Amino acid sequence: MPARNHNQWKADPPLKDGEWLDSRIYSDPEIYEQELEDIFKKVWIPICHESELPNAYDFRTATIAREPVVVARGPDNTVRAFLNVCPHRGMMIERRPSGSFAEAAPSGNPKRMTCMFHGWQYDMKGNCVYISREKEGYQDRLCKENTGLRRLRCEVNFGGFVWVTLNDKAMSLEDWCGEAFKCIRGPLEAEPLDVFHYHKAVIGTNYKLWHDTNSEFYHDFMHYHNRVTGFNDAYFARENTAFENGHVNVGSFEVQYDEYEGFESRAELSFPGLPPNQWYMVDLFPGMNFNLRGSALRCDIVTPLGPDKVMIEFRGLGLKSDTPEERRTRIDHHNTIWGPFGRNLHEDLIGVAGQGSAMLPGSEPRRILHGRHEDNLIHDEVGMRHYYDEWGKWMNRLPSNPSLPYAPAEAAE
Amino acid sequence: MSWRRICAADSVAERTLKKFEVDGIPVIIANYGEGFRAFPPVCPHMEEPLEESGFIEGKVLTCSKHLWQWDLGTTEMTGSETEKPMHFYEVKEENGDIHAFIESEHEYEFDEEDEMDDDDFFNS
Repeated sequence: MPARNHNQWKADPPLKDGEWLDSRIYSDPEIYEQELEDIFKKVWIPICHESELPNAYDFRTATIAREPVVVARGPDNTVRAFLNVCPHRGMMIERRPSGSFAEAAPSGNPKRMTCMFHGWQYDMKGNCVYISREKEGYQDRLCKENTGLRRLRCEVNFGGFVWVTLNDKAMSLEDWCGEAFKCIRGPLEAEPLDVFHYHKAVIGTNYKLWHDTNSEFYHDFMHYHNRVTGFNDAYFARENTAFENGHVNVGSFEVQYDEYEGFESRAELSFPGLPPNQWYMVDLFPGMNFNLRGSALRCDIVTPLGPDKVMIEFRGLGLKSDTPEERRTRIDHHNTIWGPFGRNLHEDLIGVAGQGSAMLPGSEPRRILHGRHEDNLIHDEVGMRHYYDEWGKWMNRLPSNPSLPYAPAEAAE
Repeated sequence: MSWRRICAADSVAERTLKKFEVDGIPVIIANYGEGFRAFPPVCPHMEEPLEESGFIEGKVLTCSKHLWQWDLGTTEMTGSETEKPMHFYEVKEENGDIHAFIESEHEYEFDEEDEMDDDDFFNS
């Protein structure tokens, strides 16, 4: 086929609406701002895993749609979330990524969150317990009852992950993604899990491109080593299933690990209740991923940092009851697939970094195709079509022309 | 028998305080120049560990966090910030040792945290 001139290049592809989209949705700063407002401030977001807050007064901070959030385990063992902002002068209260409030700190007291600016203090339920020079400054016009923290809805669910939403009126977490988790809920909840691996990547790309990559497996062309060893027909026969709210599952198959060069079967360490060596993936709108590959669980949490910048946090989890030897093997299983020298994760990052480089804000809109139909199996791009139909609804924009309001796509599943 | 030997009198220098543990009970011995006082190791205000935050000037003990003060000579509250009394254990010096009368560990009541975990919280 001949190369195309500029007009030909800009023309719509000969596919149905809903089988392609306009790259402005990956690069337009205005669309990005609206996504923070209309999606990220409205939905449930996993922040971390409860095993990262094992003791009373342990905390972890995060950011959702630029809003600083702190989650802390109270002395009653309940994990609660608050806006990490002092109601006095708007200072970020806790600046460390994680730690404990149990001990005294240079500008705080034990068991309280303290704003170092003027020493206002809060307990683990978000009650204000100290205002410096309260009587002298406010006489009785303002008191601690008026200055509690903003509490956020927070639940520990689906294998011990800590979920938070900035939206007091959001649907229940169960309604939000319970169906999508059904396929792995048994194995995730049979016994307590804990995190054995954490790394993060800050990539110059749009957050949705990472989700796209997770929700189609057609890009195994990039994973040379994956492709030349260990694949079988069952790999390609896995089915994508779409759920309410934009979520998708990639169905399981039995991985023949012993056919991977240098690998052994992972049946012995497979999660409880999971048939040996099975592999399920849960892709959640707007961009979280839970990937259970027999013996190890991987979780990707994305934090958009700009239209062309995303932080992806990768966690690896195993069973809390692991013996040291089991744990070593499990970590090995995790790292040989998803570690820095594993089979594919770093290659996926190269893919989305390349897309990001070609779609910087201000770059000319392009047509991005996701029109493959292959019986909903893993080379089918149904996951992306389902996702972008949901995206269009939340944004009231048409993915193929985001200047227009949402309309159900011709190619809707 | 609730008199317990805490330490040698010469192990706490004048106008200093030191934390000890006796039978699993933490206690601070303060030497205010004219005698000794024994009290629980946290400030009754915000549980600040007094062995770190407390200092003695004259006979006055100050918690440096929010400047609550107690007169160790009289055991009374002093200064303009202090809102709660300090709990003191009875103390005596005998044969060069400090003893304190501790029946059981005294624990202050700090702010009771409200119950606010009801389902309606986010709907109001």
